[in-house]
Amino acid sequence: MKSTRRTLILGFLTIIGFDPSSLPRLGGRSEDIWAAPIGGAQDSARGPLSDLELEDLVAFAGVLVEGRALSAEQRGFLLDHLADRARDPSGYYAGLYRTTARLLNRLAGTRFSSLTPDRRLALLSRYRLTSAAVAPGEPLGPYPDAAREVRTRAVPDLIGGYYGSAAGWAAVGYATFPGRCGDLTRYTRPEP
Amino acid sequence: MEAEVGIVGAGAAGGVLALELARRGIQVVVLESGPRHDFARRGESVRRYLRHENPWPTLPRELDRYTVGGSVIYQLEGRRARGVGGSTLHWEGYALRMHERDFRLRTSHGIAEDWPITYQDLEPYYTAAERMLGVAGTADEPWASPRSGSFPLPAFAFSHSDSLFAGACQTLGIGFHHLPQARNSLAYDGRPQCRACGTCQACPIGARASVDLAQIPQAEATGHARVVTEATVLRLELDLAGEVEALVYAGLDKVERRLTARIFVLAGGAVENARLLLLSTSKPFPTGLANRSGLVGKCFMSHPAVDVIGRARDNVYPYRIGFSTAMSRQFAIERDRATRGAFLLEFLNSAGPTPDRIAMASGLTGEALRRRVKEEFGRWLGIRVYVEQLPDRANSISLNPNVRDYFGNPAPHVRYSLSPYERGALNDARAVAGRILKMLGLSDIRPTGLFFAGHQIGTHRMGTDPRASVVDGDLRAHDVPNLYLVGSGCFVTASASPPTLTIAALAIRAAEHIAGSLRGGTPSETTLRSASYFPARN
Repeated sequence: MKSTRRTLILGFLTIIGFDPSSLPRLGGRSEDIWAAPIGGAQDSARGPLSDLELEDLVAFAGVLVEGRALSAEQRGFLLDHLADRARDPSGYYAGLYRTTARLLNRLAGTRFSSLTPDRRLALLSRYRLTSAAVAPGEPLGPYPDAAREVRTRAVPDLIGGYYGSAAGWAAVGYATFPGRCGDLTRYTRPEP
Repeated sequence: MEAEVGIVGAGAAGGVLALELARRGIQVVVLESGPRHDFARRGESVRRYLRHENPWPTLPRELDRYTVGGSVIYQLEGRRARGVGGSTLHWEGYALRMHERDFRLRTSHGIAEDWPITYQDLEPYYTAAERMLGVAGTADEPWASPRSGSFPLPAFAFSHSDSLFAGACQTLGIGFHHLPQARNSLAYDGRPQCRACGTCQACPIGARASVDLAQIPQAEATGHARVVTEATVLRLELDLAGEVEALVYAGLDKVERRLTARIFVLAGGAVENARLLLLSTSKPFPTGLANRSGLVGKCFMSHPAVDVIGRARDNVYPYRIGFSTAMSRQFAIERDRATRGAFLLEFLNSAGPTPDRIAMASGLTGEALRRRVKEEFGRWLGIRVYVEQLPDRANSISLNPNVRDYFGNPAPHVRYSLSPYERGALNDARAVAGRILKMLGLSDIRPTGLFFAGHQIGTHRMGTDPRASVVDGDLRAHDVPNLYLVGSGCFVTASASPPTLTIAALAIRAAEHIAGSLRGGTPSETTLRSASYFPARN
């Protein structure tokens, strides 16, 4: 994504711990990330997630599951998970993912996926968005309802989805695993 | 619609029975409440399984309503499956014969009741059932009852973790042997060899025996069997002579239809068979069809189970295969079962958390999370114990008029408790499993919570006395000559063994009896070998 003066300012403010959502609208182009409330009806709208939303979610998950940007293969596993979940006829997961992308973008003041890895981590650390546990009375930032949903629902879902995929099994040294058929004799001996 | 034999349910019992009858040229119609799960969409079930969801959900959910009571909650979700294949869609595939003593607990140990048939009566049908389902095994169990034929498929090899368990068991003097299973160790009956896919509750390649992939299509291929899906039987209607005249059923449109036949068979599982009988009241049967004994729905049993796990120092490489390959039947046989319940030991090839579970429980993110997953994975060994439950009339399936299903019929109410007999066996089993894990040098040895196998047993028990049983030894209802009740509901006692092979053997035997009665000869004139199933390895 092209950097603009506005995104650079917002990114800088985020890094130094300023809440960009408290700023009045700055001038510049209109983006949908500013247009609708978080957690509203639009978030639960059905239909496929946009490429931009998926980019933001993958960027978020990269910080959660690996602490870095994901490889193309790892991205693929995560995208499979997101697509599978988003097909849920109730629309719950599509809504959750939209809420997540919208919150990230609001807090970043720009597309979350356009931030550098360090700035992603700084933003998520500032708002404790990598922690699924929410303590009683814990301040949850400017969008507390969305932040709660993201932390308690989206974070475990993304971590579970990623480590439940081939990526998680690769992390423990398994090339074949539940869901991927292989050699029937492998289970009889230790792994090499 | 008309048939010679109308069957309710296309699961283990109904599917096997339909094939056996159709092979004899008998016209069969099977009414199945659920859908035909398309094998081409098996991947969806696999994905649900991997997400720790029910691989086989069916709609409408209002058809699966039930309520619970008693001191222990027995949940039916995930413990039965509606659709062609029934519970064979998701079963583990463990195909054990019951031991000959399991058929005569009263005679051997002075408890419960004897079955009206013996192991010897059922043995040829066990052999036929093993061939039909394709059971892989070897005769290495010291406590096995005599068998007339060898297993049709070679046993699956012991696993890496089995080799650890075997040493500990040998030191402790605990028997250790292969676990027979209806799963293809070699290609068999048109289905492929197992490829260790690890999702056996939704086998992606059809290597695990499943009635929807074998017996039902084979029955249909004879031209003598027809399966009607999404057809829920609402009640049975009687004629003036007191015999069943028709099955009244409906689809999702709720329009009632009738299936007439000469003989009717309920094969809907122990819960639904009992419910259907209780729903079918009439002047001759005011408390439910075939219920003059008052025992329909009574003596409901299952297999209480617990996993005992321990932490190993080294990686034991779990989750490379979806089933267990070793067990011990020692404590199901060599016990004074008058006071101590029997139990099986299943040596788990997969215990402890999967990578996703480790990750979600860790509270970590990023590189630290990845390290934790790698360090924690593969450090647990486990033993699962299954305990025999005795029949108790207080454990029952009844109708709950306050909760209605999709068609407005009362939902089943499951009343379930455990007695000191079962609790004592669970304690003994936990102790034995703990000793084995301790011998292996494991730490943090502990039992997980109590759970129950997906086995529903004993709601229309067989017996010789019509006052004390619902069906006779041929599974024909004492009170209704043209009605048969098959499946594990007819078991007198539960044993500690999984019931499916016995369900199949009894269904083959019942088919022989039904065929004999339909064709006017005695059952013995319709020989087992003439119709039963002898598929080839391929």
